[in-house]
Amino acid sequence: MKKKLCTIRTTLLVIASLALSSQVMAESEDFQPMLDTDTSCEITVVGTYSNFEALEAEFDSFNDFYPNVELSYLKPDDYNNLLGTILESNSAPNIFFSGPWMFGNEQYTTAIDHMEDLSDPELGLDLECIRPSLLSYDADGQLGMVPIFARNYGMLVNKDLFEKEGLQVPTTWEELLAVCEAFLSKGYESPMMGYSADSSGCLMNILVYPEVLAALADHPEELQAANDMETSAGECMRGGLEAMMQLIDKGYINLEKCGEISDNYTEVILRFFEGDVPMMICTGDTVSGTGKRESQSEAFSKAPFTYIFVPIPLSETGGYFVDSPSVEFSVNKTCDNLDMTNEFMRFLITREELNKMASVKRLVTPTTDLSFDSVYEPFSQVPAERVLSPEVIGIKDPLAVQVRITAYLVGTGAVTIDEAVSKYGTFEE
Amino acid sequence: MSRLKISWIVIANIALMGVILAFVALYSSYERKENYRNQVEHFVNSTIAMEQVTGNYLEGEQRICDNWAQYINSRELTLEEAADFVRAAHAKSDTSVHVIDTETLTGFSTQPVANSADNYEVSYKRMDLLGDGSWIADLGTAINITRTYTNPISGEQSLAFCNRITVKDAETGEMKQAYLLRVVPISNLQEKWVFPQEEYENEDISIIDTESNYVIRGHSFKNASFFEFYKSYNQPGISVQQQLFEKILSETGSFTMLDSRGRECIAAHTPLTSTKGWVLLSLAPVSDLNANAENWTLVGVITFGLLLLLVMDFIYMHSFNKKLRVMAREAGAANKAKTDFLSTMSHDIRTPMNAIIGLTTIAEKKLDDQEAVAENLRKISLASNHLLTLINDILDISKVESGKLNMSPMTFSIVETVQNLMNLSQPMVKEKNIDFNFRINRMEKEYLYADQLRLNQIYINILSNAIKYTLPGGSVSVDLREEECEREGYIKLIYCVSDTGIGMSPEFMEKMYQPFSRQTDSRVNSIQGTGLGLAITRQMVELMDGTIDCRSEVGEGTTFIITLELPVAEKQLEEMKIDDVDVLIADDDPILLETAADTLESLGVRAEMARTGMEALKMARQRHESGKDYDVIILDWKMPEMNGVETISRIRAEISADIPILLTSAYDWSDIEDAAKEAGANGFIAKPLFRSKLYEKINELLGTEVKSLEQEDDYSDLAGMNILIAEDNVVNWKIISAMLSMFGITTERAENGRICVEKMAEAEEGSYDLIFMDVQMPEMNGLDATRSIRELDNKWASSIPIIAMTADAFSENVAECLKAGMNGHIAKPIDLSIVIKEIRRIKEEQGK
Repeated sequence: MKKKLCTIRTTLLVIASLALSSQVMAESEDFQPMLDTDTSCEITVVGTYSNFEALEAEFDSFNDFYPNVELSYLKPDDYNNLLGTILESNSAPNIFFSGPWMFGNEQYTTAIDHMEDLSDPELGLDLECIRPSLLSYDADGQLGMVPIFARNYGMLVNKDLFEKEGLQVPTTWEELLAVCEAFLSKGYESPMMGYSADSSGCLMNILVYPEVLAALADHPEELQAANDMETSAGECMRGGLEAMMQLIDKGYINLEKCGEISDNYTEVILRFFEGDVPMMICTGDTVSGTGKRESQSEAFSKAPFTYIFVPIPLSETGGYFVDSPSVEFSVNKTCDNLDMTNEFMRFLITREELNKMASVKRLVTPTTDLSFDSVYEPFSQVPAERVLSPEVIGIKDPLAVQVRITAYLVGTGAVTIDEAVSKYGTFEE
Repeated sequence: MSRLKISWIVIANIALMGVILAFVALYSSYERKENYRNQVEHFVNSTIAMEQVTGNYLEGEQRICDNWAQYINSRELTLEEAADFVRAAHAKSDTSVHVIDTETLTGFSTQPVANSADNYEVSYKRMDLLGDGSWIADLGTAINITRTYTNPISGEQSLAFCNRITVKDAETGEMKQAYLLRVVPISNLQEKWVFPQEEYENEDISIIDTESNYVIRGHSFKNASFFEFYKSYNQPGISVQQQLFEKILSETGSFTMLDSRGRECIAAHTPLTSTKGWVLLSLAPVSDLNANAENWTLVGVITFGLLLLLVMDFIYMHSFNKKLRVMAREAGAANKAKTDFLSTMSHDIRTPMNAIIGLTTIAEKKLDDQEAVAENLRKISLASNHLLTLINDILDISKVESGKLNMSPMTFSIVETVQNLMNLSQPMVKEKNIDFNFRINRMEKEYLYADQLRLNQIYINILSNAIKYTLPGGSVSVDLREEECEREGYIKLIYCVSDTGIGMSPEFMEKMYQPFSRQTDSRVNSIQGTGLGLAITRQMVELMDGTIDCRSEVGEGTTFIITLELPVAEKQLEEMKIDDVDVLIADDDPILLETAADTLESLGVRAEMARTGMEALKMARQRHESGKDYDVIILDWKMPEMNGVETISRIRAEISADIPILLTSAYDWSDIEDAAKEAGANGFIAKPLFRSKLYEKINELLGTEVKSLEQEDDYSDLAGMNILIAEDNVVNWKIISAMLSMFGITTERAENGRICVEKMAEAEEGSYDLIFMDVQMPEMNGLDATRSIRELDNKWASSIPIIAMTADAFSENVAECLKAGMNGHIAKPIDLSIVIKEIRRIKEEQGK
């Protein structure tokens, strides 16, 4: 008996040793430090996320190699307006959030001037792991930013509620209407909900924007006018706006109820976790916060349920998967400790780390793996022709902003659909 | 069995070790907890101290802002003028002051916009900071401080101390409300915001607001707010979280949490009393508080120590057991030897005992036959002596083995010693019919100072061995000679015993001095002996600083030579001289002849030597014919062709009936006494021929009055003596009483020491001549009784001679008796001659 135990113990030890050594080997194969690992310095990342736990997890991983490098993330006030000033300040960050929408906007000239060319092979970034459609090279072929997450639009679906009510998750416009009607008839005051307190992150934009992208993808000749804010381009919004209004008008989206949700992130999630909302309209950014908040929701803790994130089917053929960068990183080429900053980027921009971040953040990875969290599983079913890339289509930031403002105004009843279409390009925050 | 015991010992050791370790671990755990609690308390107190420092700092900064605000309010300045004033008053480049219109949320800064030399305009429109300024209290009433925000002028994360001020509208000239912000970069504060204590210099300090957003964020803190940070890495339930957060915002205290690296940390919190809702929050990894390290070191050291002890114990036990096994084997062998010895002893003791009992029975049945009784008693005496020797040997070897064999030197006569030796050896020599010679050479110093008892033992042991191991028909010769010694006052006494016995093998000679060793030989299996004699002998010789040598060959015989350096006693015989006397001495032993002649000549006698009886006859005839007979003729008994008795007969028949003739022999005189007297012998002188003996005998034969050296058969001097005998044993008392009565000595008995003392205390002077005192008695032993008697007031009583008469026969017993105040010692079983001798000695000393 003792002999057997001894043998088992020895075997386990050997297995554990092998596992440990293989793990260490794997780590060392993934990333080999190029600088002195005793280097002591600070690296700051600034961005628009209030909270960036996935990145902070990466900081911790990087500290395994460089324990004396102090990495921190902060969200400055009035990011978009002050980014230039921040980059010029005495405490200029090493890495900052950026996006393709910065190009062509004078407000970001300073920021763009500070961007390091990340395509420089000497930096050693694994750019090949990123989906090409998400990489925004400038006219000179330089790459000022790399995507960290991809964005998508959709709705959280309470699967248990559907099962309870004997309903199927809708994949077409007709099914959506039928499901909403069914829920309404079963006493659900707002079968679909979302954030509607302001235009940023509002449910209206989430509903309309993919439809506008699809329309412009189908009619590329209108893209230029749309980007140029020409009123004639307003028709590209009509389909999306009409679908949205139909849902609101039929009572499927009760804006009064939605107005009780005070922010487009935590409150959206916690409201969904109450368990009585069949469908919660939001972006993948919001979905990213669901995992952590499961335990923070008393209702969800008491009565957990299965949920998924699905494209919103506003057309007969279903919903769209808008594949666009959500967050991109740029390196401040004038920052202190640029070598270590590039070392961190070299560590971060790899398939493994990006996928890991996406997994932690519960966002869609920008890598070619397109590996999905189970919550995002329905998006893997979206056929290629329904995957839309704003960058590939050529969408400029003003167009996206115009659509967001317009959708919000129409959704809240401030303007009619016709007014919105006819006055395209004129709406402001 | 021994393995089982070792296993139990090991298990017991391990169990004990486990108990000790458990105790140490428990105690260590208790200490650790106590230490941990103290450390946490200290950390919390340090945080409270930092809160006071922080409060003082904030108040100081606010006062500066207040002063500026007071000045601006008193001057009716425009926004720009107010900014100019502060710019002039405030020269520090790392901070800036903003003067902001409450309506437009725009204004002027004392520092220009980054990368702009002359643009001092600043806007807070897009910041959720000053929209609702109601939180800013009236001037001088509170500390008004913003959250951490991004300075729109510098782009740095900053804090601002605020005041509401009144400024003049540049266009309308009306007074309006504005904010005065003294903006301090967080980086400046973070550099200063460290614990003054060295042990906490690396620990984080943060300030959070009511939303748990960081006002100042420490390096270890992550996420946008502390609560988010807590929730990210700690998973308590919602209600627990909520309670904790409420506690953090309202109380001073501490709690444990995991940081982003999964380390257990102590977070100490205390509200900043100088601000509304802010909390000072410090974080330290538990490992930094040194709560664990020492205790585990202690446990580790103790564990290691105990393991080491266990291993050492085990090794020691193993080694000890090994030694024990060896010792057990040796003990087993020794035990076997002793068992063998006891077996032998059993036989050896039973043999004389059998003789004693058997002969006693025979004697009892032949009480009418006086001769038979006498013969039996004589044999009983011999057997008793042998038995006594045996017992003495056994007792001696026990002393030898325990190393307690001591010497008790006293003055003695070597002549007596030799005589005793002869007496003891005679029966054996006679029994075995061996040729026995004892030669003395130049023994000038008769009285020596040594342990006579031990010397006797040495000599008799060697001699009796020689006789025992010599077969009938063989010979044993003893040579005793005196040589000069280098040490002054000493002589060198050389005792050499040679035999033609069975000899010893070299193997046996190697171990012959070990106890219980006996030479085995089919021819001598019947030889009685203890196997202790040589062991005792060597021990005694060494104790007397002497040497013992041995030469032996199997079948050829053995020679032992014992050399002792002995001190000469002060007492010596007076000058012995016999003038003008012719002596013929005849002996077939040329060496003895030479030494005897030499001794005679040293007395002044003219000695002539004859080697045979016939030669002696011839020489006596010649002298007779010449008319000058020898004055004395000394003839050896055993001579070839014609022995001493025949020679005497021939001399008496053929030459003269008057010439004094002495017969000499190393054998027992009683065997030939009758024949010798019938042949005409005038006397007998035993070998060896000591000077004093020759002197005495010759004078006796010549009719010269000489001082008798020893009284022999006349006991009249003893008659009338009264002796007190302290003896608890009735039989013993009766024996000694009966013996003494034969000499006309009367005795009285004291049953124990106490009675003896009482009798002496009550006795009239002269009632007793001396006391024989047993030592071991009930109530009071002989030693104590002697001491008590010596302390009596009566001088006669206290000085009465006391002779120990005891079975405690060792030298140290003798010494102990003398020390107690006794005058002599007689060992039991008593030898009557010794008793008489001792009585006479006492009398003689009293006479002196």
